[in-house]
Amino acid sequence: MTSARHYSVPGVPGLAVGVLDLGLACCSMEIGAAITAGLLVPADNTPSEAAVLLVSGTVTDAMAPAVLAAWNALPEPRRAVSFGACANTGGPYWDAPTVLKGIDQVIPIEVYVPGCPPRPEALIAGLAELVIR
Amino acid sequence: MPSNAHSLIGLNPDACTSCMICVRECPVWCIDLASHTHEVTEEGARRPKVVHVLDEFTIDFGACMYCGICVDVCPFDALAWSNETDQSAHSASGLVHGIDQLVKWFPASGS
Repeated sequence: MTSARHYSVPGVPGLAVGVLDLGLACCSMEIGAAITAGLLVPADNTPSEAAVLLVSGTVTDAMAPAVLAAWNALPEPRRAVSFGACANTGGPYWDAPTVLKGIDQVIPIEVYVPGCPPRPEALIAGLAELVIR
Repeated sequence: MPSNAHSLIGLNPDACTSCMICVRECPVWCIDLASHTHEVTEEGARRPKVVHVLDEFTIDFGACMYCGICVDVCPFDALAWSNETDQSAHSASGLVHGIDQLVKWFPASGS
């Protein structure tokens, strides 16, 4: 996963763990927007310290095993967030035969963030939902 | 958030005529609409007229692109941008909202 990076979330104090970002499509641009706005701060954690998997973007059948491998590589306790319409339901591509109808077909998702793409604020609100839960 | 940021979409079911234009124009087909017809006989009318009665109207915000095409194409202004911000859910079905919820998101003054 060359796109995998780790972040801390200053706006969500209870979320001290790293976030492993799996940016598969354009939604990952919003991760960059969140960094620019200071909502996400890149951290130097090793991948094993990340406990939140952030899946953003269209998951194709070909990409699904890689997402599953990234999920299986995370140590317990681990949690997954689906970011954006594609990861939630397949989004505009739900009718395509090679696109997953939501990443929850492959890994268990705790929080679904709606939007195409969701705003960076929605990302932080979604991560905060993890803490409330 | 900027005030012009796209957010949730509200429905005014009283203005909706079940014409299906929003359903057909939605690029991701995330709107579901069900209606039935009802015959109305008005006094002095030559024949009864048939009106559509809205039964169900759901928007799947899990798939919604928040593009606003449904708001733009609605001939009766039954759909409008809400002031409420979108919220994440703990299940994919938790992002599917029906009339009961969409009514609350319809802005009081219209769009």
